[in-house]
Amino acid sequence: MVEERRILYEHLDVPDINTFDVFRQYDGYTRFEKAIAEYQPEDIAKMVLDSGLKGRGGAGFSTGEKWSFVPKDIKPCYLCCNADESEPGTFSNRYVLEKNPHLLIEGILICCYAMGIETTYIYIRGEFTLGKKMLDAAIKEAYEQGYLGKDIRGTGLNVDIYSHPGAGAYICGEETGLIESLEGKRGQPRNKPPFPAVEGVFRKPTVVQNVETLCNLPFIIGNGVEWYTQMGPTYADTRFDPPKPDANTGTKLYCISGDVNEPGVYELDLGLTSTELIEVAGGLRGEEVKAVIPGGSSAPILTHYELDTRLDFTSLTLAKSMLGSGGIIVMNETRNIVDCLLNIMKFYAHESCGQCTPCRWGTPWVRDIVQRIADGDGRKDTITRPKFGVAENGRWGDTGETEEIYEDLDLLESVANNIANVDTMTWNTICVFGIAVSWPAVSYMRKFRPEFEATIREGKLVTLPVAEATVPPEENYAYQQRFVPKEFADL
Amino acid sequence: MAFVKLNDLEIEVEDGTNIVEAARQHGIEVPHYCYHPGLTRPANCRMCLIETYGPIPGAPPGTIGPARQLATGCTTTVRTAPPDRKLDDKYDAIVQTDSPRVKKAREDVLEFLLVHHPLDCPVCDQAGECDLQDYSYRHGHDKSRYIEVKNVPPKKDLGPDVLLYSTRCVVCTRCIRFAEEVSGTGELGLVHRGSHDEIDIPRSHEGVPLQVLDNKLAGNVVDICPVGALISKDFLFKSRPWFMEKANSVCSGCSVGCNITVEYKVDGVYRLKPRFHEDINQHWMCDDGRLGYHYVNSDDRLQLPLKRVDDEFTPTHWADALAVITEKLSEVEAEDIVVIGSAQGTNEDNYVLQQFAHDVLKTTQLGLFGQLLGEEHKFPQFTIEADKNPNTAGARTILGSANGNVVLEGDTLWEKVSGAKVVYLVSGLPERPLEDAEKAALESVDFLIVQDILPSEITQLADVVLPGTTFAEKDGTFTNSTGWVQRIRKTIDPPGEARVDWEITQQLAKQLGGEMNYHFAGEIALAISENVAGYGDATHQKIGDAGIKLAE
Amino acid sequence: MSDELIQIETPFAFNEENQREFDELIGRYPIKEAAMLPTLHLAQNQTGYITPAVMKYVAEQLEVSVMKVKDVVTFYPMFFEEPVGDYVIRVCHTLPCALRDCKVVLEHLKEKLGTDIASETNLAKGTTADGKFTLMKVECLASCDVAPVIMVNGDLHKNLTPEKVDELLAKLAS
Repeated sequence: MVEERRILYEHLDVPDINTFDVFRQYDGYTRFEKAIAEYQPEDIAKMVLDSGLKGRGGAGFSTGEKWSFVPKDIKPCYLCCNADESEPGTFSNRYVLEKNPHLLIEGILICCYAMGIETTYIYIRGEFTLGKKMLDAAIKEAYEQGYLGKDIRGTGLNVDIYSHPGAGAYICGEETGLIESLEGKRGQPRNKPPFPAVEGVFRKPTVVQNVETLCNLPFIIGNGVEWYTQMGPTYADTRFDPPKPDANTGTKLYCISGDVNEPGVYELDLGLTSTELIEVAGGLRGEEVKAVIPGGSSAPILTHYELDTRLDFTSLTLAKSMLGSGGIIVMNETRNIVDCLLNIMKFYAHESCGQCTPCRWGTPWVRDIVQRIADGDGRKDTITRPKFGVAENGRWGDTGETEEIYEDLDLLESVANNIANVDTMTWNTICVFGIAVSWPAVSYMRKFRPEFEATIREGKLVTLPVAEATVPPEENYAYQQRFVPKEFADL
Repeated sequence: MAFVKLNDLEIEVEDGTNIVEAARQHGIEVPHYCYHPGLTRPANCRMCLIETYGPIPGAPPGTIGPARQLATGCTTTVRTAPPDRKLDDKYDAIVQTDSPRVKKAREDVLEFLLVHHPLDCPVCDQAGECDLQDYSYRHGHDKSRYIEVKNVPPKKDLGPDVLLYSTRCVVCTRCIRFAEEVSGTGELGLVHRGSHDEIDIPRSHEGVPLQVLDNKLAGNVVDICPVGALISKDFLFKSRPWFMEKANSVCSGCSVGCNITVEYKVDGVYRLKPRFHEDINQHWMCDDGRLGYHYVNSDDRLQLPLKRVDDEFTPTHWADALAVITEKLSEVEAEDIVVIGSAQGTNEDNYVLQQFAHDVLKTTQLGLFGQLLGEEHKFPQFTIEADKNPNTAGARTILGSANGNVVLEGDTLWEKVSGAKVVYLVSGLPERPLEDAEKAALESVDFLIVQDILPSEITQLADVVLPGTTFAEKDGTFTNSTGWVQRIRKTIDPPGEARVDWEITQQLAKQLGGEMNYHFAGEIALAISENVAGYGDATHQKIGDAGIKLAE
Repeated sequence: MSDELIQIETPFAFNEENQREFDELIGRYPIKEAAMLPTLHLAQNQTGYITPAVMKYVAEQLEVSVMKVKDVVTFYPMFFEEPVGDYVIRVCHTLPCALRDCKVVLEHLKEKLGTDIASETNLAKGTTADGKFTLMKVECLASCDVAPVIMVNGDLHKNLTPEKVDELLAKLAS
């Protein structure tokens, strides 16, 4: 049995940890004080880079590397904290905001010190009314205690934090969508380059970080890089010569929901398998695992053959999926994958910002196709390929075989791939929302094709037994191509 | 200059040029909807995708290959690279606009653009000049795979001259960016989200507008709409674009001198559209100019010479009208005659007029008529000038070009007119209310000859009215307020017996024994270039479509 | 132009408290336009929904065109352009809640309230005749561990069953 390793969530359930005094009792702000007292800003940036911390928001980009792209000579520079948690299946940030907002503030302070930032905007989901209330109260307290504002604790450091409410648009979780929204416009993502690190909010260099990423900073500073890198695997990417280390360090707030007995947030080392995770979350609710979504609804689905895939950034990328925001949704044998895909496609069709053509009109199209299949109106055709040969009656004649063509499944795959191609990982859209749409569409369809075919054949939703519904591993496009990395330590 | 390999071509383009423009300069089409050279580039239509080449990460130095993601041609600009960053040791950029990947991407994007687009080309005004039609034909699929229900957003009235057929819209947002960046009025925006995106003006939830698209540049949104979504009410259902002839000309609405294309058929002018000129109007023109052409087609146009018989105008023929005038002119002394040129007339009209006055009538006192001041309108990227005449600067110079000529304007002119016996006044303004002083002065004249295009307060006072022509019916040149000399071109024939203004003047001169024998406007322009200071280069050949700027 | 421009009979203005908050808000950003979302939230809290008068007022305050405000209001589903009930019930129907039978909760709410589900352009459809409740579906409320969830105004209600819904409605109605 795997044990939780609570670091970010360690004191989450301490009563009144949201108040400054209690937070202070549990080492609150000491890590920030240590940062100022013992390190230069450059040292902190170096520590973050060395720690191998990867952004927890979805893309999994190295935080230290991102910081290194920020030009040092352009001021002001801004920090935008992404608290627009809206990926279905993800809910870890909400608990931080509601229960332990001072931890986030401390993380922000460390980032601001390292990057010479004086203004931070926390873009918080409009629906998080309680979270915003708690956060605002904590910010107010921090101002009163002299941890925010001008000349913090006599160090000459100035940091202002403002919370900025969103208004219910998923796309504002995309970093440039967030920036546009913060500027008071529609949350339509910008073209990249320029990346926000160079030209972000108010056309100034901007660091955009997820809540969870920022909350990791106090612990990296407080306990040191060495302590941090012990947690989680570091792989050797043997496609490079010499092998390139690929760190998946630290803990991850895995959000487990769906068919498990005890859904919730579990803080665990990166690199556990789905089976282990389900066990931690009180075991499966049901007989058999049919599928696991490993990183929020936009991540490609894993079949029961792929449950041994380790849930970390590298392993999931190599398994043609992604860890994303760590929102794990488990489905048992009673679930119909067509129905699940329909639910997800409705979500994306509703949340597409409508800025660029492929996504604006492609996403609802994909939804409509899935809807049609689910309604039992999926198109199928039986064709006979003519072939000249000895027929049954012993004479020369047509010996063609009949083949069933599932027109709508091909159409679904083609349309989704035209928005963003999951095989080549190229997208025709402005932002990665495109791939977030086609990833589930194509992966569900390919990996659970028998269930889709049965649904079209029968003209109604048909839930097949797990073994029948799933494409066998040897035919699973992702399973075939997956690349199992050797652990760095083994070299 | 950047050295670029574009498909199989090796081309040189200026630094900072984007791929769409670089390709266009070399005759290669990169299809696009949202990109417009006069606006910012959101790259939202995704139609101009191209393949760029660069070093392959992880590969040995010097190996280049296509980038993983396609880039948008409108936002990809080329620059001279430092020597160590050259590709293949010589190129600053390598770009493919016709690789299989690019072609596939274009097909795919076009398919998406067409899923909700109605098949109403047969009743759409844009058909024939529609980017969606053209690109579908050249880059698209031949059939649709879309069998779901199409979005049918409503048709909307956006302003006095603009209608929106939302079903046809591809949401390229050119019109929104125009209203924000060029006119700065910001009436347009998007409403709703995702596939329900619609262009609209601000309205209440019930659909009552808070503001309408009524700025003076609003008509431009119709021009820049790449599809048939934004439609001019003025042109709605008037003509198919391919039935109209086109001529490059200059707007006569004010002294800016916007370059335009006059689109016409035998029976009249159908619309004016702006034509790009970098230094004058960029891509735009104002609605006053755009919609101000209707007088050309007016049924009220003067079609025959008129003479006053017993205080009533009687239509007559040219020989008679000219005979009456010649008789009158030969009766009076030179100092009793005032010849007044027009700021609506071309340089050629005014040159012949001044030559007539100077050489034939032997008078050096000329007037310049036309001063009509309207309001000046300033927009972030466009100005409509107060002077509502296209050629004030040119007429002033040309009329005063001969030795001894004095050009009178304003009060001094009317003072002079009040003492004159014969006044030959060329007007040509579609509407020109007379002030009291002007009216009194003209009334005091014994014999008033007015050459004009429409009946007006001025023609009411005349003894003889000669039917002249508008900018659409003659060749010539205008000089704008910033010193650009530009050509206008004859499109339609003048109505009835109306004649080109300089021809009328020349005929008069001939009748009075003058030695003038111009055959066409270009000939006069040659004479201008020889005789008028500063106009040395202003021949029709040299002016061409781009115009020339006079030396300061 | 057939349509007449709308005449705003009662202009909108912030009340004293909101004005104070607005003044504070505007100081947070280098450009005024950036205060758009918080300002609209303030205004909506004051009036219940965004009227043309509000749009005009906000546009003036932030020095942008009215269309920019309209643009933003229609983009974000949390802003209403129509009157809504005293209690806005948002039912999450995204996958994790769907796996935990949010449909049952939704159907139960529909039946209990006797109303349809509001759409973004037609909120009246989901508002009860007495104007007390507005029922709408929303995308993920980021509470998948306690699914199915609904949000009533700002409050989250977790692990719902038809019985719990009954209790909740009874409490709200009283």
